[in-house]
Amino acid sequence: MSETVAADLVLLDQPFTAPGVRIAIAPAMMRYALRARDPAVLSAVIGRVLPSRIGDVVDGIACLGPDEWLALLPAGTVLENETGQLVSVVDVSCRAVGITVEGPGAVALVATGCPLDVERMAVGRATRTVFETVEIVLWRKAVDAFHIDVWRSFAPWLGAALVAGSPS
Amino acid sequence: MSGYRLDKGGRIDRAVPLSFRFDGQDFRGFAGDTLASALVAGGQMLFGRSFKYRRPRGLLATGVEEPNALVTVDRGPGRVTPNLRAPSVALHDGLIAQSQNRYPSLKTDFGAINDRLGALFPAGFYNKTFMWPRSAWEKLYEPAIRKMAGLGESPKERDPDHYGATYAHCELLVIGAGPAGIAAAMDAAATGGRVILIDEQEEPGGGALADPAQWAWLAESLAKLAALGVTVFSRTTAIGHYHQNFVVAVERLTDHLAPSQAAGPREKLWRIRAGEVVLAQGAIERPLVFDGNDVPGVMLASAGRALALRFGVAVGRAVVVMASHDSGWRDALAMAEAGVTIAAIVDVRPAVSSDLQAAADALGIAVYLNHSVTGVKGRLEVKAITLCHNDDYLAHTLPCDALLMAGGWTPTVHLWSHARGTLKWDAAFGAYLPDTTVENLRAVGGCSGNWNYGDGIVVATLPSPKPVSKQKAFVDFQNDVKARDIALAVQEGFRSIEHIKRYTTNGMATDQGKTSNLNGLQIASETLSKPVTAIGLTTFRPPYTPQTFGALMGHHKDALFQPLRKTVIDDWAAANGAVFENVAQWRRARYFPQGRESMDAAVARECLATRERVGMFDASTLGKIEVVGPDAAEFLNRLYTNPWKALEPGRCRYGLLLNEQGFIIDDGVAGRMAADRFHVTTTTGGAARVLGMMEDYLQTEWPDLNVWLTSTTEQWAVIAVQGPKAREVIAPLVEGIDLSPEAFPHMAVREGAICDVPTRLFRVSFTGELGFEVNVPAEHGRMVWEAIHAAGQEHGIVAYGTETMHVLRAEKGFIIIGQDTDGTVTPDDAGMNWAIGKKKPDFVGKRSLARADLVREGRKQLVGLLTRDPAVVLEEGAQIVVDPAEPVPMTMIGHVTSSYHSAALGRSIALAVVAGGRARMGQTLHVPMPGGAIAAEVVSTVFYDAEGSRLDV
Amino acid sequence: MLLIHCPYCEEDRPEVEFVNGGQAHIARPADPSSESDADWEKYLYIRRNPRGRHHERWRHIHGCGRFFNAVRDTVSDRFETTYKAGEPAK
Ligand SMILES: [Zn+2]
Repeated sequence: MSETVAADLVLLDQPFTAPGVRIAIAPAMMRYALRARDPAVLSAVIGRVLPSRIGDVVDGIACLGPDEWLALLPAGTVLENETGQLVSVVDVSCRAVGITVEGPGAVALVATGCPLDVERMAVGRATRTVFETVEIVLWRKAVDAFHIDVWRSFAPWLGAALVAGSPS
Repeated sequence: MSGYRLDKGGRIDRAVPLSFRFDGQDFRGFAGDTLASALVAGGQMLFGRSFKYRRPRGLLATGVEEPNALVTVDRGPGRVTPNLRAPSVALHDGLIAQSQNRYPSLKTDFGAINDRLGALFPAGFYNKTFMWPRSAWEKLYEPAIRKMAGLGESPKERDPDHYGATYAHCELLVIGAGPAGIAAAMDAAATGGRVILIDEQEEPGGGALADPAQWAWLAESLAKLAALGVTVFSRTTAIGHYHQNFVVAVERLTDHLAPSQAAGPREKLWRIRAGEVVLAQGAIERPLVFDGNDVPGVMLASAGRALALRFGVAVGRAVVVMASHDSGWRDALAMAEAGVTIAAIVDVRPAVSSDLQAAADALGIAVYLNHSVTGVKGRLEVKAITLCHNDDYLAHTLPCDALLMAGGWTPTVHLWSHARGTLKWDAAFGAYLPDTTVENLRAVGGCSGNWNYGDGIVVATLPSPKPVSKQKAFVDFQNDVKARDIALAVQEGFRSIEHIKRYTTNGMATDQGKTSNLNGLQIASETLSKPVTAIGLTTFRPPYTPQTFGALMGHHKDALFQPLRKTVIDDWAAANGAVFENVAQWRRARYFPQGRESMDAAVARECLATRERVGMFDASTLGKIEVVGPDAAEFLNRLYTNPWKALEPGRCRYGLLLNEQGFIIDDGVAGRMAADRFHVTTTTGGAARVLGMMEDYLQTEWPDLNVWLTSTTEQWAVIAVQGPKAREVIAPLVEGIDLSPEAFPHMAVREGAICDVPTRLFRVSFTGELGFEVNVPAEHGRMVWEAIHAAGQEHGIVAYGTETMHVLRAEKGFIIIGQDTDGTVTPDDAGMNWAIGKKKPDFVGKRSLARADLVREGRKQLVGLLTRDPAVVLEEGAQIVVDPAEPVPMTMIGHVTSSYHSAALGRSIALAVVAGGRARMGQTLHVPMPGGAIAAEVVSTVFYDAEGSRLDV
Repeated sequence: MLLIHCPYCEEDRPEVEFVNGGQAHIARPADPSSESDADWEKYLYIRRNPRGRHHERWRHIHGCGRFFNAVRDTVSDRFETTYKAGEPAK
């Protein structure tokens, strides 16, 4: 790939496998950026339970900050969104692309570009962080499975960086 | 031809012979050799030429401290690496290496004339001599010096290799896998936690590799570490220690293999965060400073020992050891036992321990106490040495073919220093040792001074009947700094080692003075008759050893150099022949040439089509922020210059954003989607900055406001449809929105559907024409774009790019942030006071607009310029003057910010910032250019449809 | 690369997740229009450049998104403490 220029990068069109890892684009999903001063108000508006601790995930809703949640829900799931409430519910389904990294080599692969102690990240936790210079939301779904949410225009780069970092 | 292979011994595998080439000549070695050990075994004592004097140089050391034996290794096209230290190059079959700094050959070098003229090259010579005249520096001195100086040649071909990188975390990181490092790793592993042990050599073991008595222990220990789960990396150099035990290391993965065997990344950058770091980097032996100490064949005693015991190589057939330290004796004894002929041990000290004396006697080695080497005979190799008694300087000559120096030890405190650990002078050791640190860091073994090297004394220069000023006694071998250069620097008034270092360049070579710093310090101390601690100490900086750029870049190469963001419509643009430009991190279609059309022709066609019929433009890169909450209008009101509270849902407003200093930093249109919801747009480049600024005010200044921000830049694809036919083009595709001018006026926003997908449809214009901006969820962007393009065919629609967008907006006098503004332009400067809510008590930047400098007369103001010759397009950035006849330097009153050929007007147009510009309407100004000054008249910034009649249709 | 304790996440996180926001505890005047030119200049431009203890703002931009305050020693680069926005200076 020595002569490849950035413009040539395209989003993975089919899963990539290497010894110990499988990288794939996650199916389309609904994404909501959820904000509220009082989680109870937000919980009531959307009719869902919210995790209260930063980094926890409940039923696909991750707490990213003290007043911020990101809902990653199956395609077609619609959250209620009345106006005039002390909350912000914004549909950002198309903003990001999900990339899944799975296999016994998943931890090491994510660690190629993520400065967190990925090995010690508890299963079921999610956080906003970076992969090299690109912001991501990293969600550890199982011991050897991660969901990485990344803004759409950065996804081809991130996919290529993960492929490049995979064991040969 | 003094070096040779011993019959037995060493860790080399004599069953695996390897062949290689050095300077075109064939050599043989064994698996386990380094390039250096195999060359010495082949009798090669001459390795290179020195940097300044082109003196013949041989191997000094067998570790990373090697200053002389720099070679270029050629692994095929694009894989030529200069300046590698021969002792750090693992031998593989077919290795090809060249010496450096010689022309035409290593043995005959024309540049060596510098050495004969050495008296003309004192310390500071370059600083003093090549200053004047200035023109001679550029034309004569610099090219000549560049040709003569420098190390290996920089590779010119593209590096085809790729490089890996990773982060790693551990509870304990041990740097250096010698006996002390192995012991530290073992202790920690037993108590649990992740332990990483790294070592720069080809195999772990450190000093134990040159001590066969420790080999059994070593093998056993490494097996134990593996069983305990310790991660051990060899060929991995810790190059820097950064805050809170963040250590960067480079692992060399393939260079030790023949090119045909190499697969995967060449090197890997390890970014390691460790709970605790143990430095076990050992110590580096110090050369002695005497006349002729750089003749090939003069080496460190530790190197002679490693060559004999680790590699089975004798450095000579008659080897003399010159010692000021017991370790030289021990090395001599060990070499003698391994079969090396030690002709003599010379020691500057009047007496040594009786054990050493007895051991030397037992082996029949001649011993000269209270003696010093005062001269070396031979130029390309050692032929004999001159010995003097220290008291009466009675001299005699001793034939030999190698001379080993044992000047004591310098603990390797580089990483300790990186971590800003303090050092304390240890007089007994004659070196600086680690003292205190704020990091969870400790030093063990040799690098902490905790190692039994025996006794020794520290001498600045060996006693000699010859004054230092007449000696060629080298301190820094790589930079060719002699003892007399340091003495001269001191005589010329330099007192601090930081100044002496820069004046003499001592310690400033690629080895960072690993063998020279302490000797330099001792000489300065002695010349000044001040203690070493009064001279100071230079600071070590990363990297510990030179590294490839590839390793430092890691993943970030070629396509992965940095992300290139593309919109969902980019593929269509590429397929339709777009020429692209990069804007911030985005790639944007600049224009769409038809056939062999030039950019000017394409842009003129796109402009006219949009003004006469309709054009479409991918505006998806615009920053978008959803501002939601009961206080959304209040928030925007406080932030932007414009009034927002009275804006009705369904309407839009142009917003101008200042910083608190009163200068324009961003702009964009915001639509009120509901009482508590705004769709705010920003410039492409300003998206992240504006969101960050909004969050800052919200979180820290106005936390009482109930409003939240969400970036929706990538949620929406945005298609601008502009031109008199715009409504007709989209009408058949839109559902649920009354597009009539009465129901949907300019600066309104509606929600509905287009091509059966939800849309936020804005009626806005950045062209001055009837216009719409179609926002659809990004996943539908390409489909909607193509549908509009198809629907527009009957109306003669064209796709246009950023260049046409720029021309169309300039014709209307609309500013581009960062092009017509530069962070010093106020709304008034830009002629945009209309955008300021006059009744607002406050907004970000308002108070500053009343500051004296922002209201003074004569500020630069945005104006239009029309060149007298309509065919001339001004250069953007060109300076503007009143009087073109004024002698240089002319009084510059402003500059051109935007300049284009306007197809609609059939002439050039330009925007410019000019001092007191609005008061100069009608005045002719001048733009001096290489071909002569260009006359231009100051006009309004609105060149086209000043009354705005084309918008309201 | 520094490790910074985010008072919201209650974790030590790598520096690359943060941006520095300059000197802390400089409140925007409640009524800027009543500020004298000299006072407004101080608010805009006059900053400390201490050797040693420094109060500064950081934002966990690639984490929880929050601005917070920190006391950092500018000589050693050590963080003495970090605390939430709105809490009094430490
Ligand atoms: Zn945080």
